[in-house]
Amino acid sequence: MSDETVPAAGDSSGLVNGFVSHGDSKTRRVYETARSVHSGSVKDLLSLGVCERCIFRLVAVEAFDSDLSSVSTSTLRSWIQSGDDETGSSESNCSRICIICLGILQFVFSDAAAEKKLVKSDTSSDYVARVTDLVKQDRHDFDSFGLEVSVPSTIMDNERAVLSYLKEKYSTEGWLQRDKISVKDALKVLILDPLKASLGAQSDSSSFHIRLTYSEASDEALGVSKTTHESKRRKTDAENGSNCISENSKVYEPCIFSVHCNKMPIFFSGRYFKYSRNVSQSRWIIDDERMGEASVEEILGGNILPACLGDSYKFHAAGREDIDVRMLGSGRPFLIEVQNSRQCPSEQSLKEVEEKINYSEKKLVGVKDLKCIGSQCWAMMREGEAEKQKQYVALVWIARPLEEKDFNSISSLKELKILQKTPVRVLHRRSPLDREKIIHWMKVEKIKGHSHYFLLHLCTQAGTYIKEFVHGDLGRTTPSMGSILGCRAEIIQLDVTDVKMGDE
Amino acid sequence: MEEIQRTEVTKNPEIEDIIELTKQSVEACDEQQKQQAQEDGEDEDELRKLLLSDIGELPLIPPSATQINFVSYFITDFTKSGHDQYIYRHANGLCVIGLAPTHIAFKDEGGITNVDFNVGKSDRSVLKVSGKRKKNALRSESNTALCKVSTAKDSYIVRCCVKGSLLEVNERLITQPELLNSSADREGYIAIIMPRPADWTKNKESLITLEEYKEKKEKVFMIQSAETLEPCLL
Repeated sequence: MSDETVPAAGDSSGLVNGFVSHGDSKTRRVYETARSVHSGSVKDLLSLGVCERCIFRLVAVEAFDSDLSSVSTSTLRSWIQSGDDETGSSESNCSRICIICLGILQFVFSDAAAEKKLVKSDTSSDYVARVTDLVKQDRHDFDSFGLEVSVPSTIMDNERAVLSYLKEKYSTEGWLQRDKISVKDALKVLILDPLKASLGAQSDSSSFHIRLTYSEASDEALGVSKTTHESKRRKTDAENGSNCISENSKVYEPCIFSVHCNKMPIFFSGRYFKYSRNVSQSRWIIDDERMGEASVEEILGGNILPACLGDSYKFHAAGREDIDVRMLGSGRPFLIEVQNSRQCPSEQSLKEVEEKINYSEKKLVGVKDLKCIGSQCWAMMREGEAEKQKQYVALVWIARPLEEKDFNSISSLKELKILQKTPVRVLHRRSPLDREKIIHWMKVEKIKGHSHYFLLHLCTQAGTYIKEFVHGDLGRTTPSMGSILGCRAEIIQLDVTDVKMGDE
Repeated sequence: MEEIQRTEVTKNPEIEDIIELTKQSVEACDEQQKQQAQEDGEDEDELRKLLLSDIGELPLIPPSATQINFVSYFITDFTKSGHDQYIYRHANGLCVIGLAPTHIAFKDEGGITNVDFNVGKSDRSVLKVSGKRKKNALRSESNTALCKVSTAKDSYIVRCCVKGSLLEVNERLITQPELLNSSADREGYIAIIMPRPADWTKNKESLITLEEYKEKKEKVFMIQSAETLEPCLL
């Protein structure tokens, strides 16, 4: 009888026992391995309720590999069973969920995306088609993917129990000692090649991941505690050995199956301008009320996100300015990190995003040099941080009229060292420290028609509190504009005019 | 010079081409530089326009940083008559404590001459508060003593008025007590306290606003000026 069931070429759809002469070498190899397995253990495992592919995994001498992907469940069963096997029991077996893999390697599951409909199939092709459908629904644009599989932890316990039963009964058998491929890896091996073909993509450790998740049906409602309790119970079963295995009449339910696609975040860099004194840098909400009328973060992220068809974004900037301080001059470098983008926007669409922001009605924020950037983005951001110099223009009022000598006394101060105690306005959330900072240069510019007001241009070390340098912060910043000019000084408004970066 | 050069050059037409090209690229460079300078100039003009565009009405005396960022509260006759203090509360909850202009210490001839933070159980000027959580800050009640200010005539205890963590005292007053005489409401502040939100809500009830303070003290000044013909402090 065994001579009649020689494997056919390719898939065995429609052919239950695979007739027809010369099969291809792959399935022939599987056939030969299947025929040579230890028949006693196969009978045992089948009656315990272990599925065909798990049996092949645990008992076969040859490795479990992709050659198996085209062999249907029923074909495999007929090959591993010896000729004089009772066909009766094999039929009743085929409807039982495997006690080890819970139906995963039998392509039996509850489809989470189809109202948990029970799905059964004999071969991997329907399964691969379903995965392909679900991946395509997510509209990701990809050339390659990484495949991840997540299975319930109880599967390991199930396997351990069966293996210890086998070891006790067949302790002398050589094939027992080999390492067994896990259910997770076995599934990957079975479907990777057909999935690659079906999706038209390569497989590698890419930035795009497809995750196949199986979760236990019964534990879903009850949460973790039951799982750990059950797995503890199963562990003691395994230790007790064979008795518990054969007495175990538990009905196993198929797992709930779902597919999730995730793309690693992509980054955009550029420089932004802030023209409004009522726009915060990042989203600022206190007691359900927004501070300011908008935020740079939301204007930039809110326009880039739709162009990427992403899930969410994160905003990172090289430094920050207060809500009432404008960011002018060359702009401030920033990064937008987009989670799970479905497509990488073209240069054209990035230009359109720039235009949308720059020509918007209110003109609160501006952007330039917007582009997609790779992993070097973080190095770029670090550059804008602590060591760099910043340039500002402040509108200053003093209690006495500006005099000729003031111009010189201010501009002659180069590399002026100042000591700033943590400003009162941030003292609630920052450490009380004395920070030494350097004012590299200053220049006074008269304002026509006003003797008590002037424009102060200054270039300072990063991290200097400019407002406190002007008004003195109750004497906690020394020297200050007031102490240098010998009178009370107040800052009316502030603009950032340059954020120097690296080699610019 | 140029003429000589030209005659020599025409002898070799190839070199002439090269020189011509070089001249052109030098001119192009100059053009570029001029253009860049012009662009820079334009950028600067743009910037200036932006900088000056915002300057609208400029008041003669603008509100001070304290007036903008803090809400002023006062407490009068705290534990003792004439012990008037201010509590400037920032939007972030921190309170700056100091002597109100009507504090009796200012009435003494010569004003305040000495400030000593060594009162109560410890010297307040040596406390070292560290970290965001403000570790080691003195937990003070409203009547906890902050310092003792002395004049030629007498000395007076200044207290917290607010229950909370003492973050900082103005140790500059030790070496420059005259700051209290010249600017008690700015550089002459006494201390910074961080009250818990619940404590502040309760505390607030015993404090009065700037308006109420002016009203209260106006009466005193009216009487004073009538008696002594001295100008009002406020």
